[in-house]
Amino acid sequence: MKLFLLWAAVHASQYVLFLYFLAINSVYTALILLALRDIVRHAYLTTSRVARRQLASEFYFKPVSVIVPAHNEAAVIIQSVQALLNLHYPEFEVIVVNDGSTDDTLERLRREFGLLPSVKPVRLQVPHEAIRGVYRSEAYRHLIVVDKVNGGKADAINAGVNVSSYPLFCSIDADSLLEPDALLKSSKLFLEDDELIATGGIIRILNGCKVQDGAVTEIGLPRGFLEAMQVLEYTRAFLSGRTGWNALKSLLIISGAFGVFRKDMVVAVNGYRKTVGEDMDLVMRLHRHCRDRAIPYKILFVPDPVCWTQAPFKLGMLLKQRNRWHRGMIDALLTNRAMILNRKYGATSLIGVSYFVFVELLGPLIELLGYLSVPVLYFTGLLSGRFFVMLLLLAVFWGISINIGAVFLDIYNFRRYKKTSDILRLCVLSAAEFFGYRQLMLLERLRATVTFRKKDWGIQDRQILEDKGTAT
Amino acid sequence: MLDIFTQSPHFYDYVTAAVLLLGVFNVAEVLFLLWNKARVESSELKRQGLKRLASTALITATDPAALLPRPAKEEEFAAYSEAIASVLDSFEGEIAVKAAQLISDLGIDDHYRRLARHRVWYKRGNAIDILSSFKLKSNREFFLAVFRSETSLDVRYRIIYGLSRLAREHADIRALARMLSGLPYLTAKYTEDIFYNIITALKATGSEAEFGIFMREIMNDKTVLNLVKRDCITACYAAACEKGRGLLKEYYAAFPDEPEILIAAVKALARMGDFSVTPAAIRHPDWRVRLAALKYAHLCCMDMLPEIRALLRDPSYHVRLNAALALAKGGEKGLAALRQEAAGPDAFAASTAAYALSQEAA
Repeated sequence: MKLFLLWAAVHASQYVLFLYFLAINSVYTALILLALRDIVRHAYLTTSRVARRQLASEFYFKPVSVIVPAHNEAAVIIQSVQALLNLHYPEFEVIVVNDGSTDDTLERLRREFGLLPSVKPVRLQVPHEAIRGVYRSEAYRHLIVVDKVNGGKADAINAGVNVSSYPLFCSIDADSLLEPDALLKSSKLFLEDDELIATGGIIRILNGCKVQDGAVTEIGLPRGFLEAMQVLEYTRAFLSGRTGWNALKSLLIISGAFGVFRKDMVVAVNGYRKTVGEDMDLVMRLHRHCRDRAIPYKILFVPDPVCWTQAPFKLGMLLKQRNRWHRGMIDALLTNRAMILNRKYGATSLIGVSYFVFVELLGPLIELLGYLSVPVLYFTGLLSGRFFVMLLLLAVFWGISINIGAVFLDIYNFRRYKKTSDILRLCVLSAAEFFGYRQLMLLERLRATVTFRKKDWGIQDRQILEDKGTAT
Repeated sequence: MLDIFTQSPHFYDYVTAAVLLLGVFNVAEVLFLLWNKARVESSELKRQGLKRLASTALITATDPAALLPRPAKEEEFAAYSEAIASVLDSFEGEIAVKAAQLISDLGIDDHYRRLARHRVWYKRGNAIDILSSFKLKSNREFFLAVFRSETSLDVRYRIIYGLSRLAREHADIRALARMLSGLPYLTAKYTEDIFYNIITALKATGSEAEFGIFMREIMNDKTVLNLVKRDCITACYAAACEKGRGLLKEYYAAFPDEPEILIAAVKALARMGDFSVTPAAIRHPDWRVRLAALKYAHLCCMDMLPEIRALLRDPSYHVRLNAALALAKGGEKGLAALRQEAAGPDAFAASTAAYALSQEAA
């Protein structure tokens, strides 16, 4: 009986794995095709003269508060703030929230920008740890610094929301750089569509680019394998993934590194929740809030506002980051489990949340099962060498075409990487991913699945945002 | 393994074919990427060159059409239309006339009129955008005809936008208003832009009064959304319609329970230096109206000091803050009141007053 059950399980697993493999690759292919349609349309409509005229118009904007949570960011904070103060935007404020840093982040800000205590009453709309002081720059009246007790990134953004004065806020990481027109491009969408409650732009990798006076002046693919591989991953995740989810009205993540939100809606869901995946959690709660109350709404990803961010350049850092992302995703899914396969939440649940559950959450387990079953099946005679080789080739070639498809979306429409050598390298990396890198990430995601209750963020090394970006 | 599949005699043929196809596809994708890169770069250079040539010819030559090669490819049409639209935006008189003439001489309008009937909606939308940037009166009839047959809402909104830049007389404004009311309300900014374009076009022809007549007509028209009326007022604010002052006051009086209209009227009047409705707005029961009025209180209403001071205890955070700022900007009496409040027992009023005092000092 036991043998029979084992035999049945092995046979059933073959079909599960094979069908899962077909399904997952079909989903990725479909996403690329959807994204291509969406991006071409977007490019047509945003490059028109009327669109550009509106972008340059002094009336075509809504004031925005840019919130920068900073915990031990002394190495990069001055350059980041300087870059933000240089944004092309008619009316905005920059709110740096010093989240209980133990280094001299606050001191550096105080010295560089001439901070003076501000006594503006803070309206407590969303919860956060105690604020120790609010300061305003003497030289730049639109720069505000909030000093508060450490509470994590979500908590810091909540404090920024309470201090902010404007109806829209943009959250951005301290180690990131916004392109000068990124804020205009993303906030303009709120004028064009009253139903829009949140939007995010594309995150690109800063490593390998040349930075001068807080602006990216030369774009290049980083030399290091890990960093370059992340360029490929980000391109795939944003241009084929999020654009595709846009088309299906199922976008569940707006990156914590760069997102613009309607403040009243974020306040309505009680702000960010303290978790390592606060960005996905917030977007899921916004979906729930609007669906539960039948509020017409839109949450969109737009591919042209660009935020440049530093990618981990050491394997340990990268694994830590991926571990945190995966734990954050699991936590967001668990907290918002009411959205799993719930028709009440429409396509967002049936397509978007289902994808995250069956592909992102269960995917690593099924992939591991696939890797483990190969030797078992081979040595029990259930797997022929020919079949294995054909399946392997199919998987790798299909995966490569999905990766190159994402590179295609980027190079065809946005042409950020202009050097032929960079394009060719991205194509080579599209193949290299399947030989070691993917498996390494898989193991880390499995580790995160086991330890998903851990709440720590870990410490990330930062590099100075000037000149050619390699670690300093 | 996977007997159901592998037992088929052609299973491995299919898989091999799939693998080969994917391999060829991957190589083709890479080659296409490289070819496309070279193509786009050369076309970009060509486009820039043509744009420069067209701009120079328009400004310096008497007959620019004779100097410029006739466009044949999409990128050439795009380059010319960019250059011409830019010249039309920057110049008037002879150069603008030459630019308008060049559009028909080179067949650019015909090209985009054809594209405006393309089967893909965003290509139609793009063509309409380009045609509207030319601001050609001759496009009016074409826009109206396309609007009647157009099925995409996105494109219809763009046609209305294009038409709004061509408004010349009362009938045009009415027609546009009818077209707008036949479509779902899009956004405040869109409607405001439409009316802003209309006012600007009317101002250019010296017939600004036509807009006043239109606003009076719609004031009591129940079929026109109050949101649209509000957007008309906001457009007046943006386009600085000095002549509409009396009418705006009438709007303020006619819609006492419509905060959106009241706010727009308060702001538009204040921009014209008319603060006659501000005192009433400061006393309005809706906090948003009070807030809008308080922004101008220091310019007109410091005789209402006790009332403004009372607003330091308003239930709305924004009203409290702006009342304090109004007092801070309102001269010595206002500052004295703030100093008293800052030392007073009411914590909310005290913190707000302290903030306003610090702002004034800065």
